[in-house]
Amino acid sequence: MNLLDIRNLSIELETPSGRVRAVDKVSLSIKEGEVRGLVGESGSGKSLLAQAIMGVLQDKWHVHADRFHWRGIDLLRLSIDERKALLCRDIAMIFQEPMSCLDPTTLIGAQLSEAIDTSQLTGNYWQRRKQRKEAVIKLLHKVGIKKHSQCINSYPNQLTEAICQRVMIAIALAGRPILLIADEPTAAMESTNQGQIFRLLANLNQFKNMSILLISHDLENLTHWTSTITVMYSGQFVEAGSTEQIFNKPMHPYTQALVGSSTKANLRLPAKSRLMTLPGSIPVLQHLPIGCRLGPRCPRAQQICVRAPKVTNFHGHKVSCHFPLFKETNKKVSVKGKVVKGSN
Amino acid sequence: MARDKIYLEEVFPSPFMQLWSGFRKTPVAMLGFYCFMFLVVLAIFSPIIVPYNPIDGNLDMILLPPSWHEDGDVSYLLGTDELGRDMLSRLMYGTSLTFGLSFVVVIVSLVIGVVIGSLSALTKGIKSSFLNHCLDVILSIPSLLLAIIIVAILGPGISNTVLAVAIVFIPQFIHITRYAVKEEFRKDYVLASRLDGASNFRILYYSIFPNIVERLMSQATLVQSAAILDIATLGFLGLGAQIPLPEWGAILANGLERFYIAPWTVYLPGLAILFAVVATNLVGEGIRHALKLRKES
Amino acid sequence: MSVLLEVKDLSKSFKLKGYWYHKRTFCALSPLSFTIESKKTLAIVGENGSGKSTLAKILVGAKTPSSGEIYLNGQLLNNQHFKERCQKIRMIFQDFGTTLNPSLTIQQLLDEPLTLNTDLDETERYQLIYTTLHKVGLLGDHMNFYPHMFSGGQKQRISLARAIILQPQVIILDEALAALDPSLRSQMINLLLDLQQQMGLAYILISHNLGIVRHFSDDVIVLSHGEVVESGKTLEVMRNPQHKVTQKLMMSQNFRLK
Repeated sequence: MNLLDIRNLSIELETPSGRVRAVDKVSLSIKEGEVRGLVGESGSGKSLLAQAIMGVLQDKWHVHADRFHWRGIDLLRLSIDERKALLCRDIAMIFQEPMSCLDPTTLIGAQLSEAIDTSQLTGNYWQRRKQRKEAVIKLLHKVGIKKHSQCINSYPNQLTEAICQRVMIAIALAGRPILLIADEPTAAMESTNQGQIFRLLANLNQFKNMSILLISHDLENLTHWTSTITVMYSGQFVEAGSTEQIFNKPMHPYTQALVGSSTKANLRLPAKSRLMTLPGSIPVLQHLPIGCRLGPRCPRAQQICVRAPKVTNFHGHKVSCHFPLFKETNKKVSVKGKVVKGSN
Repeated sequence: MARDKIYLEEVFPSPFMQLWSGFRKTPVAMLGFYCFMFLVVLAIFSPIIVPYNPIDGNLDMILLPPSWHEDGDVSYLLGTDELGRDMLSRLMYGTSLTFGLSFVVVIVSLVIGVVIGSLSALTKGIKSSFLNHCLDVILSIPSLLLAIIIVAILGPGISNTVLAVAIVFIPQFIHITRYAVKEEFRKDYVLASRLDGASNFRILYYSIFPNIVERLMSQATLVQSAAILDIATLGFLGLGAQIPLPEWGAILANGLERFYIAPWTVYLPGLAILFAVVATNLVGEGIRHALKLRKES
Repeated sequence: MSVLLEVKDLSKSFKLKGYWYHKRTFCALSPLSFTIESKKTLAIVGENGSGKSTLAKILVGAKTPSSGEIYLNGQLLNNQHFKERCQKIRMIFQDFGTTLNPSLTIQQLLDEPLTLNTDLDETERYQLIYTTLHKVGLLGDHMNFYPHMFSGGQKQRISLARAIILQPQVIILDEALAALDPSLRSQMINLLLDLQQQMGLAYILISHNLGIVRHFSDDVIVLSHGEVVESGKTLEVMRNPQHKVTQKLMMSQNFRLK
């Protein structure tokens, strides 16, 4: 069953020059027990999307969607308070720089015990304190911190980033969520620690059947740890499918460029040769192209790309492009069209 | 080949212009700014535009109530005091004393504080610590009390008041400057400047000061409102401006004995002090709010 | 190719704050030596705290070494030659948010190294800034913009323009590519490769990312706690990592050269 089913979610912002669509008709679905990756560079709106799912966006962003189901319940019919109550109980989120997400003036133990819900503690009133302490120790063991007494009695700035991220995951787990959204959890860490955090998330997914939405801007990081991937560009949905399909047979030119810029692909290239790139840069919010937002940079763009493409589904591999790459095996589509000059 | 000018907007706002446009968006801050400007103009031009001489009085017109009373006279718009001096002229002249001198106080303490603070930030170790904390003993005594002590030592008079109040506010500027400059030094562009071979002075002038000037300005408005109150209080206590100078606090003290007969001699200077302090605080709030807006965007 | 930069027995140790009768020293860099030739890239790899940034700062002149010598084109560099050094060895920083002064336009920013180090007059400087901006792929119009109007990739390009405007011979990239998005990173790497061929530069690349290191560099040095644990040609080191630290690094990034 689909845990989360979102169809055509848009997030708009009022600016002096009119309404700007930061996220334009994105669809996302997460099944139970799967680890989904959400890939997009800066400006792709992936953090906005995650925050919109949680319901923590500021009032200046206007969110609307065609369908927003959570475990079969239609969230659009509920009031805002009911929606927040439902989502906050079942979804947890961890963020990018863990040390700055923890309160620097409180001990870790106090912050963890604050996160534990009283309803989870059985027992009488005087036994609660001891039970809370035990629950904190159990949480820390769950995320792999063995020396719990040292961790409980320190402040966040005395610990390393990796341990702080584990503490954040422990705080997220305290609410027993069903879905964990990880918004670039390892951006501030070096590679040895990144592997540890990803392994921890994979363990949680395997043993506790917790679904995870992993957001990152680096495609190759996610390929080891995710089963399905969704790619976004500049607020638009680009491609979604299983990891293997995306990596081995990318259908959208943007996904192909992303895959081409990862190191695995470059291993085959000789050293010091030019890498394959898309010209131009990511459009800013004030100057978004109409229709398909990759248009100005896409080498296969033609006149029709000023209209936003529809999502086509090839055996579970969804792509949003007028000229997907592997359609050519069926029809001979001529690529020699008017190539639009990139704005550099 | 790409064309050179592709952006339609020709205006390239510098960070200062961004701050200004953010400031303009808040109507309350703009109101405060206009009042502030009004006071500045009044402080500069009041000796020329006062209708009557603020010092000599007309003994025929003693204790005339303001013009909206039935006994009042419209030629003496805000009434007169016990020596027949026109309240309006006294208040306008007082602007240049209380408000104008507070401006001078702020500038003096700003310059001295920034110089000492930058020296402290450029050096390391004991010298830096010494420069930073040498005037901290001033911070430990309440500002008004210290001003009274200094005036008691040097004798009453308005120039001593200015000196006393200026000394009180120097340590605040030292700390703020030192902290801001040290923070800027950690940034990469200062290192890049230094690697280009810039001297310390050049780094301070081009790289650091333009980036800390806004913080200094918001602190300066806070200091100015405190300075207005301190100068007025010293005048009230008789330690600041001496009779017959029409400083607002002195006018207030003068009229206090006759409060039940002629209340306007008390509440009018009080309102003037309130107006000046509120205008300064609104400008300071507007600057801080615009800084926050600029940081977010 | 002739040797451009030669480093002999460079080391750096810090005095830790202890009691005045019992000062401890912390050795950030043990004595190391290497050479670089023109049009070649040397990569320095290691975990956090292994001394990479210290080495970069010593090379560019921001810190003085405790011992050792640096020879540029055969000539010994010491503190008197600061001006010459800052012309020949330039650096690009990691954090592109704070690498540009927010209150100066790009023209004023690029003017500064020119006024301090060269004798060109105003029109010549303007012309030089214009051509340099074109070289890094920006427009001449961008001269009048302030840094906050640019995106991250463009800020790194301006940083690169500031580095190449004095026609240097060595450029140090202190994790300059780490914070960029992958597509921008590829564009930047292409640009750096072009400039290397055009201007005959030598690069010193400090990075975590082994993929970039493999693609971009000819030689590699692996540092761990200030000591050189392995060095040599990139392809050989990556095919047969000898030392445990190198092996651990490659394993953690799932990196295997066929």
